[in-house]
Amino acid sequence: MTGTTIAERIEIQAMASELAHRELAPRAAALDAGGQDVLTECWRLLAELGLDRVLLDERQGGAGLGVADLLATIEELAVGDGGIAMCVLLCNAALATLADEHLADVPAGARWALVPAASGTEVTLSNGQLDGGVACALGAYGADGLVILLDGPEPAAWAVGAGAAGLTLERDRPQMGLRAAPAASVELAGVSCAPARDGSGGSATAVNVASAPALLRAGTAAIARGISRRAYETALEYAHARKQGGVTIIEHDAVSDMLSAMAVRLALRPEIASDPAGLAIDEVQALAAKIATTDAAVASTTDAVQVFGGTGYMVETGIEKLMRDAKYCQLFPEPNWVAHDELMRPERTSRVAPLTRTIAGNGEVRAPRGRVL
Amino acid sequence: MTSITPERSLRERFPRLLPHGERLDVGELERLRSRTRCFAEDHVRPRALEIDRRTGEDPSWFDWDLVRAGGEQGMLGLLIPEPAGGAGGLATQAAIVMEELCAACPGIALIFGAHALGVAPLLLGGPSQWDGVLAELVQSERTAKPLLMACAITEPEAGTDVEDPDLLRRARITSHARRVPGGFRLSGTKRFISNGSVARWITLLMPTDPRHPAETWTCFLLDTRSEGFAVARVEHKMGQRACPAAELTFDEVFVPDERVVSREGDGAAATTIVLACSRPPVGAIATGVARGAYERVLGWLEEDRAAKGLLERQHVQLALASMEEEIHLARQLYMDAATELDHTALGGVTSNPAVRAIAHVPAGVRRRAPMHGWLASDRARDATIALLHRTTSERAVTRSLALSSMAKAHGGDVAMLVTGAALELVGLRAGPVRAELEKLWRDAKLTQIYEGTNQLNRLEVYRGLCRSETISCLPPLHPIRRKTEGGRS
Repeated sequence: MTGTTIAERIEIQAMASELAHRELAPRAAALDAGGQDVLTECWRLLAELGLDRVLLDERQGGAGLGVADLLATIEELAVGDGGIAMCVLLCNAALATLADEHLADVPAGARWALVPAASGTEVTLSNGQLDGGVACALGAYGADGLVILLDGPEPAAWAVGAGAAGLTLERDRPQMGLRAAPAASVELAGVSCAPARDGSGGSATAVNVASAPALLRAGTAAIARGISRRAYETALEYAHARKQGGVTIIEHDAVSDMLSAMAVRLALRPEIASDPAGLAIDEVQALAAKIATTDAAVASTTDAVQVFGGTGYMVETGIEKLMRDAKYCQLFPEPNWVAHDELMRPERTSRVAPLTRTIAGNGEVRAPRGRVL
Repeated sequence: MTSITPERSLRERFPRLLPHGERLDVGELERLRSRTRCFAEDHVRPRALEIDRRTGEDPSWFDWDLVRAGGEQGMLGLLIPEPAGGAGGLATQAAIVMEELCAACPGIALIFGAHALGVAPLLLGGPSQWDGVLAELVQSERTAKPLLMACAITEPEAGTDVEDPDLLRRARITSHARRVPGGFRLSGTKRFISNGSVARWITLLMPTDPRHPAETWTCFLLDTRSEGFAVARVEHKMGQRACPAAELTFDEVFVPDERVVSREGDGAAATTIVLACSRPPVGAIATGVARGAYERVLGWLEEDRAAKGLLERQHVQLALASMEEEIHLARQLYMDAATELDHTALGGVTSNPAVRAIAHVPAGVRRRAPMHGWLASDRARDATIALLHRTTSERAVTRSLALSSMAKAHGGDVAMLVTGAALELVGLRAGPVRAELEKLWRDAKLTQIYEGTNQLNRLEVYRGLCRSETISCLPPLHPIRRKTEGGRS
């Protein structure tokens, strides 16, 4: 299924939202502390609902939904915990790029991760073997398998099982944000790999490898938005409860101004157009959304900590965690200044003007004209 | 690591503010900065990440070896007056030390900064305080068994409130110092107290009448070995973890009359003056955090293979130039605020002939009756207040507080801006420098919060500079003797 109705979309969002509030948010601190058991437990819950393979069709054990549905789901999950939402994004992106014959070998509930890497400088491919290393690969530690996504004019993806000879995964200890998607330093020494989908065939919901970066960016934007919502809701509630100078702090302009700015950032939702079949998103819009939304998330979460004052700086309140998670969204899959570079690539600049009109103009949602998922 | 500063000396940077030969001798300041920078590079930076990791796992873990090493450099006696054996530094010295330490590790710097904050209220007590705890602190530093101080103001229901005299009137203060024969019984809870779990002595503020907190806000010197005092918990913080933030509980803790710092009811004024003194160093802390991030990212760009070619990108060049610009402005602001305070607002107190005369009296004589008795008397305390009124004015202190607040608020924003930009430049793939930058980014956020939120500080700027208001910030010459609960008036 790719043509999800509005009612169906709302139902999916409601399910994800309930899961986020009931199961993920209460476990967010434990996930942030790096507990593998709690991650396994959460992943089991997510897999039971089919959220590990949203984009795959039903014969592949998937939900058969479109990218927009996945993004809506991820945003809701991120309200509960940004790291778990990142796991869902990376797993869906990885499995959706796997060729059918490899996908058949992936057991239900397995957690895979898509690892973007710079071709040549980080990872090289020679004679079907991968060499090199990727630092701070989100979600890679403890994953059942990786799809190494090499950039370049013609991106390519290569599947590697977690137990592959020559593959070393070392936990990235300093990882500051999105800690429920445990990062690893990935070392590849002559690792045999299988090519992932080339985009020429397969199921109707197949993700073209060339489109995977757009999916990562749009998904990261969705996560950042979920984090921003959490920050705003929590700070607003606190501002109504906490008193300073004899009145609730929301009555102080200094606080209400920050909350207003957070609300404005949430109201300005960047558009990411999808094609009529619901399978494609615009890569230029995905880039723009990633930049705008993650910058907004950093600003809003920083303000949220400020609204809480000293209390917000303490780990137990869970507010400072939102700030750390948001910062990592700003840095993944690439830092935003690099994303700006991507946006200004010659093949994309001609499409930025129509994009601007779409966002600022009459609200028309344009069909994407670039590569599609 | 690439060393960026000093490319210009303090003398070159601040030629008018620090003329050679005056009390703030620029040569001494240069030596202080150089000495602190060496200490920071040799002792602080190499331990920063490891201490951050350990305290992340166990917030109560504390590195006493580092405090001892700092003590050997005179870090603990920096603000203590020379007659008590200290270096006699003021805000300028404290600020210079803080920038240097924070460029290496803000958390470790905060240990010394919080200690100085604990010392500061005692300085307002004048010569009566020289031969007590202050001398003990200096002695402990010399014997390599350092004692730390802390300052306890914040309460669970009152954070920003307790740092502003107007807000304090309506604050939800739950602590109470109850008058009893011979002293006071302290009850309540203080929260987020830096060094609170490791301090030997704490200066703390409580009202003697909770119905009138602003009028009865009083500063006490507390021995942490007192019965009824407890460390309830040590907080797990986002950053600046090397310095523990503790929740302290007081269950009818007895404090004798002689440990009331200055006079009963002078606490609000003391808080204002202490904040005017402490905010320039906080601006310096923030500047140091930003500088540390800037130096690290520049070092990475120059030396790391992964960053090859990036320095040729205009985006990177512009980002670095903006960082340098912001750091420069932040430093100018905190130096301006610190020297204003030291020269103009409070400078006259320490250079007063009467104070200098007492300073020339040998400590052994000062400690014996009758001089000790006189120095500890109400008359001596009143004389100290009178001296404050003669040598400065509420307008001068208000203006100084506003400049200090400006330095603090701007510095905090610069720290966040620069650490965030540095982290974005290196990204997630940068290796070891990423961990350092992530730590500095976490550390930076606190500079927008402590010593009053940036919002509160900007309101101080509005009052003190935009409106040229004068706030009541000196203890009254003739204190109102309020009848407090417990009887004695």
